[in-house]
Amino acid sequence: MKCLVLGLGNPLLGDDGVGWRVAEQVRERVTEPSIEIDCHAGGGLSLMERLIGYDRALIIDAINTAQQPQGTVTCFRLEDLPSRAASHLASAHETTLSTALRVGRAMGAALPAEIIIVAIEAQNVYDFSETLSPAVARAVPQAVERVIQQLSEWLRKEPQ
Amino acid sequence: MQRITIDPITRLEGHGKIEIFLDEHGNVANTYFQIPELRGFERFCVGRPIEEMPVITGRICGVCPEAHHMAAAKAADAVYHVEIPRTAKMLRELLYSAFYVADHATHFYVLGGPDFVMGPDAPVAERNILGVIHKVGLQVAGQVLQARKAGHTVIEMIGGRKVHPCTSIPGGLSKGITKEQREEIEKLGRWAVEFAQFSLQLFNEIVLGNKAYVDLILGDIYTHRTYSIGLVDENNKVNFYDGKVSVVDPEGKRIGKYAPHEYTDWIAEHVEPWTYLKFPYLKKIGWKGFVDGKDSGVYFATPLSRLNAADGMATPLAQAEYEKFYATLGGKPVHQRLAIHWARLIELLYAAERWVELATDPEITSDNFRVIPTATPTEGVGIVEAPRGTLTHHYWTDERGIVTKANLIVGTTNNYAPIAMSIKKAAQHFIKQGVVVSEGILNRVEMAFRAYDPCFGCATHSLPGQMPLEVTVRDARGNVVEVLKQFC
Repeated sequence: MKCLVLGLGNPLLGDDGVGWRVAEQVRERVTEPSIEIDCHAGGGLSLMERLIGYDRALIIDAINTAQQPQGTVTCFRLEDLPSRAASHLASAHETTLSTALRVGRAMGAALPAEIIIVAIEAQNVYDFSETLSPAVARAVPQAVERVIQQLSEWLRKEPQ
Repeated sequence: MQRITIDPITRLEGHGKIEIFLDEHGNVANTYFQIPELRGFERFCVGRPIEEMPVITGRICGVCPEAHHMAAAKAADAVYHVEIPRTAKMLRELLYSAFYVADHATHFYVLGGPDFVMGPDAPVAERNILGVIHKVGLQVAGQVLQARKAGHTVIEMIGGRKVHPCTSIPGGLSKGITKEQREEIEKLGRWAVEFAQFSLQLFNEIVLGNKAYVDLILGDIYTHRTYSIGLVDENNKVNFYDGKVSVVDPEGKRIGKYAPHEYTDWIAEHVEPWTYLKFPYLKKIGWKGFVDGKDSGVYFATPLSRLNAADGMATPLAQAEYEKFYATLGGKPVHQRLAIHWARLIELLYAAERWVELATDPEITSDNFRVIPTATPTEGVGIVEAPRGTLTHHYWTDERGIVTKANLIVGTTNNYAPIAMSIKKAAQHFIKQGVVVSEGILNRVEMAFRAYDPCFGCATHSLPGQMPLEVTVRDARGNVVEVLKQFC
């Protein structure tokens, strides 16, 4: 099993960069060679292109549902993404990740069979800053644990 | 008064919102185009070294980081009063040409194309890249992905990274390319030329071959007679990386050209009470409101305006297409905004040809890709053509090169006024008394600005997985009388 953990967002846009922070901490704790950890600042086709070649992917992203407290960590499959939540899984410039995945799969690209999202509720995503707001910063360890838990589950299912 | 809200706009970069106010007869009284702006970028830059700007500004936007990288690098050269070597200039322009191929191809096939390939009235579920693939064939998807891959490969070879290049520094680049890399770049460029020709042929068959689409393009609904601007080389041919900005009036007469450091003599910004956005206009003409004509300082900066502002294209195949374009549309300048899509494909071909030209220049693999700046840094302006319009970066530094002030006019900003005008005109045409506000009509309003390929704020800050189109209709007292929702 080849697995990709991807922190998504813009690291210069306040809480928008939370996915990167979580991914960086996950990187320090994961030694398994079949798991690659990276950060990415794009959506749609560019995100789909980044996922090529992996069996499973875990995406960490800021989400804005405005229906849960700041810093709430949630975990769901890509197909269960709350439709009104602002996240990076779509790029309005081009297309949604779901559509991009369909394009990629139609082309025969080796795309992950399973994509899990770990999302952190955040609102301060319009101001240029390298600092997370307190509630979001406090949620980082919990999000890291959730990612580690998911990776362990995957490894248990398919021991290397 | 009723209010119709289209929120958020489908297939538009960043978050946008259009509000259409109807009068008591159900006709359009006015339209407002609002977007939340990213804040504090200038403050973020102040206190950092100028050489960090090409990397940091690339993070403003995930769609065109290459454009910000180049504009900031050129501004940093100017801050240090340094003329970069010919090889450095060619390498930057080569990277930039490859970026243009990837970006323009994506826009045509994914963003603007579905309206034409599927038709503006096609169900929203089909009016996307998947619909295009279904209609034109799977081969097209492969070509689009290949074009993006080719562009990104060159960006990585020259720029050091696939998406956010980092090699342009004051005085040139931090690295050059090997002979082996040059060979691969040339090969990819030749493929890109064929791909661009294929795209123009497809446009010819699907769009120009369909009278209804030609009528839509040539009709008055999407026409605005404004000034055009665009970067040109010393022969007044379109150039994306370097040159002067040519300004052409609505009749096609060039009223002047300005060098980057002269931009404040030409461009000023108008403020409206209903939005934080500023509306740039031509200072020498003046702001007369959201109106067309020679006396109004409103201008546009898009692929079409670049063609209007130039005397032609610098490469042979693109020049032939340029001539065909104006012959078909009735001569220069062209004001029909939907023709931006066609102009974009001509630029795609030019970018691919330029890519091959630069890749085959004997000096492209030279080691002379940087000079070390020696002058004391002060102030500098860099201008490139971003795919979405003229991009200006202006920095002031102290004697150590630490940024003390920054000013950016990004591509789409140039087009705020014309986009607002295009939305209003399209809304007035398509929404009239007794006409039910159907999705098809709203999409035609959206088509008015989609042609500009507007990019608001940061691309990496994107919209939901299933992007909703929400239409709210309000009565005279602001009460919601109807909400239409669809997911596209």
